[in-house]
Amino acid sequence: MPQHKNIDNQVMRWCEQIKQAQVDQQIIQISGHHSKVLRDAATESLSTAGYEGIVSYEPAELVITVKAGTKLSELKAVLAQHKQMLGFEPPDYGDSTIGGTYACALTGPSRPFRGSLRDFVLGTKLIDGQGRYLSFGGRMIKNVAGYDVSRMLVGSKGSMALVTELSLRVIPLMEERSYQMEMSENEAILLMNQMAGTSLPLSAAAYYEGKFIYRVAGAHPLQTNRVGVTEIDNDIWVRLNPFRPQLPPDVKLWRLDVESTTPAIENTIAVGSCGMRRWVASKDKPNHPYTTLWQAYFAPRHNDTPRVAHLKNGLRDVFDPHHIFKQM
Amino acid sequence: MEVINALKQVLSAESLLTSDEACRPFECDALSAYRERPLAVALPSDVEQVKAVLRICKQYQVPVITRGSGTGLAGGSLPLKDGIVLGLSKLNKILKIDPLQRIAIVQPGVRNIVVSEAVADYGLYYAPDPSSQIACSIGGNVAENSGGVHCLKYGLTVHNVTSIKIVDMDGTESVFDEKDDGIDLLALMNGSEGLLGVIVEIKLKLLPKPEAAQVVMAAFHSVGACADAVTRVLEQGIIPAGLEMMDKFSIMAAEAFAKVGYPTEAEALLLCEVDGSHDQVQVDAKRVADILTQAGAYQIQLSQNEAQRIALWKGRKNAFPAVGRFSPDYYCMDGTIPRSQLAYVLEEIAKLSDKYGLKVANVFHAGDGNLHPLIMYDANKPGELATTEAFGGEILKLCVDVGGTITGEHGVGVEKLNAMCHQYHTPELEIFHGIKAVFDDTGLLNPGKAVPTLHRCAELGHMHVHHGQLAHPHLERF
Ligand SMILES: Cc1cc2nc3c(=O)[nH]c(=O)nc-3n(C[C@H](O)[C@H](O)[C@H](O)COP(=O)(O)OP(=O)(O)OC[C@H]3O[C@@H](n4cnc5c(N)ncnc54)[C@H](O)[C@@H]3O)c2cc1C
Repeated sequence: MPQHKNIDNQVMRWCEQIKQAQVDQQIIQISGHHSKVLRDAATESLSTAGYEGIVSYEPAELVITVKAGTKLSELKAVLAQHKQMLGFEPPDYGDSTIGGTYACALTGPSRPFRGSLRDFVLGTKLIDGQGRYLSFGGRMIKNVAGYDVSRMLVGSKGSMALVTELSLRVIPLMEERSYQMEMSENEAILLMNQMAGTSLPLSAAAYYEGKFIYRVAGAHPLQTNRVGVTEIDNDIWVRLNPFRPQLPPDVKLWRLDVESTTPAIENTIAVGSCGMRRWVASKDKPNHPYTTLWQAYFAPRHNDTPRVAHLKNGLRDVFDPHHIFKQM
Repeated sequence: MEVINALKQVLSAESLLTSDEACRPFECDALSAYRERPLAVALPSDVEQVKAVLRICKQYQVPVITRGSGTGLAGGSLPLKDGIVLGLSKLNKILKIDPLQRIAIVQPGVRNIVVSEAVADYGLYYAPDPSSQIACSIGGNVAENSGGVHCLKYGLTVHNVTSIKIVDMDGTESVFDEKDDGIDLLALMNGSEGLLGVIVEIKLKLLPKPEAAQVVMAAFHSVGACADAVTRVLEQGIIPAGLEMMDKFSIMAAEAFAKVGYPTEAEALLLCEVDGSHDQVQVDAKRVADILTQAGAYQIQLSQNEAQRIALWKGRKNAFPAVGRFSPDYYCMDGTIPRSQLAYVLEEIAKLSDKYGLKVANVFHAGDGNLHPLIMYDANKPGELATTEAFGGEILKLCVDVGGTITGEHGVGVEKLNAMCHQYHTPELEIFHGIKAVFDDTGLLNPGKAVPTLHRCAELGHMHVHHGQLAHPHLERF
């Protein structure tokens, strides 16, 4: 049997808190800095804020291990010192933690080209609903021993376990340049898909305010030689990620995940992820299977088939048999 | 038998194999040291037949061992005496190719290489390229989360699959898609080794073929210097498309086999491929050559054209069969370690090789720390397979002890069940068993594979306490 793991005091206190919650039949809401979830007075709160810092980081291994409450801004700064970055470019809602970002499965504009958050997850340490401290995956890029629990829990929104530590693959910081070209939405959707099928090293492609915007990484042919293309500042991607448009009070923001070549959808105000994501502003819910209401907190879609719902509920029972963790 | 009769109602005679002779090719996968004759082999031609077979097996409580091409190296599709092998080789259609969206939808029995061949005219390819790609199936790739030479840059199977359809023992279909919200069931299915569902349809991401590729070959006087050079390359912000290392024995064997001009006096050889746009490749190849020279390479060669590039890879790609010519049998390990531990672990493996009196060849994916020590042995010599397995077990333990894992890409199957006890504690194993039960409450899907029983691990623990004296020696052990 493997050796016993080092458990720090905070982890031990959380294990006790969760065990006690079971005795008291108290529900626990996990949060970081509350950048994405609303506070719920009816639940006991467990915050990872302050549980922060780099556990280990060897740039040559392309892996960083961090505590879940580490702020994205800090994580990015540490990586930048070694000319590295997070390949999934997570949106920062202000003090967002890596744990909350993991729990909500948030990825930025590079997703179609470099992968989503879960693609970079290598391992997690977590506390389950019985207050047990567990370890899944590790710090290896390749690891197929046991089910891939650390990737499966991406998107679990604090409903199955308290993730305390994460190991993530990192990538070299690349020199990138951004460009824009005026055109119609449908022309842009076609063009971004076509370009993604060429050897041009794209790292982002979107359509916003009448313009096709794209970013290219590393050495590449000068784009401004193309008719109508101008270079723009890279910070456009930070302005679009997170996407927080000003909308009239009665209009809601919807996030639609679609096939990248789907033609323009009504009321779209931005196309992201090389066509795979559409931001729609409308009063009513757009009629599309992968539509999410996008607010300060994220409403789940609740449109699983009975079998998939059964699987998800069953898995929740495996990790949290007494339903200690609050559901979103 | 009742179950056979029931299966005869849904499968034609040529799709239901029951004789010894017909079943023989299905008795093992590529880990041929383990064999078992199944009750029967079902070879459905469509998804409806797959569902029918599963429902019948559930009704008669007969285990189902799903099989793709049987190239697995861990005994994942090893039959059970009282079980049915569900072979998916007839589900071999490419259902859709959308070059603009850069996706292909395929049935599970489609062979890996066939996908890249089918989309080549569009300038696209399917990136994960296991060495077995001419034979292995996409379904098997998903079930094992297979990797290949190019996965350091382009990812494993899990990174290149965007949607799958599975069927459970009730014959119910479920789709797991990257667009789903909530927990990531698509990720969970990758590497689930046939225990959670039968994968019947897969949507694959296709990538544009890189405009250019160049390989840098570097020869070293010591294994340690070569291992450190791997770290130097990655540290400098270059992610090679492939970064493979060979030791002296492998170099010699590969050169004897492929005659590509490898320096046979070298202690270690590194092959580093960079790909991308013409501009980027020029920059990167030069940088790699410089870094490797600084890291102590005494000889550097850059491929000057496509023919040279392919020639330099030819030796590496044939290394396994090449090594095989020097030994009646070989046993391929699959541990993964932090790259910084490469030199140390290779040294320790050499010591173990002396201890067990068995030769080892090392040829492996250095870039992602994935070792493939090939232990050379002779299965006809009494006891030598057992010695080999003991040696292999120690290598895996070594990998875990330096912070690595027992399997990088081949899976646990039946082969690494004991090693799993070394890697995981009881509560994690309980979670794994819990996950299995949620997906398969009948316990009939590939039972006994991938996750060891707690009982087994407890016994192994016992075994250690008693200094190698086996508890319950009459009990069967894999
Ligand atoms: C010479 C050689 C070289 C190899 N090189 C590599 C390499 O470079 N990288 C690598 O990763 N692997 C490699 N392998 C291992 C092997 O090829 C892979 O594991 C491959 O993915 C197995 O595919 P298969 O179709 O042969 O699966 P099988 O061996 O038939 O099955 C493997 C496992 O998957 C399950 N399974 C198969 N199909 C399905 C399905 N449709 N639904 C659910 N479960 C299913 C089976 O039950 C079993 O547990 C190599 C093997 C050989 C013999």
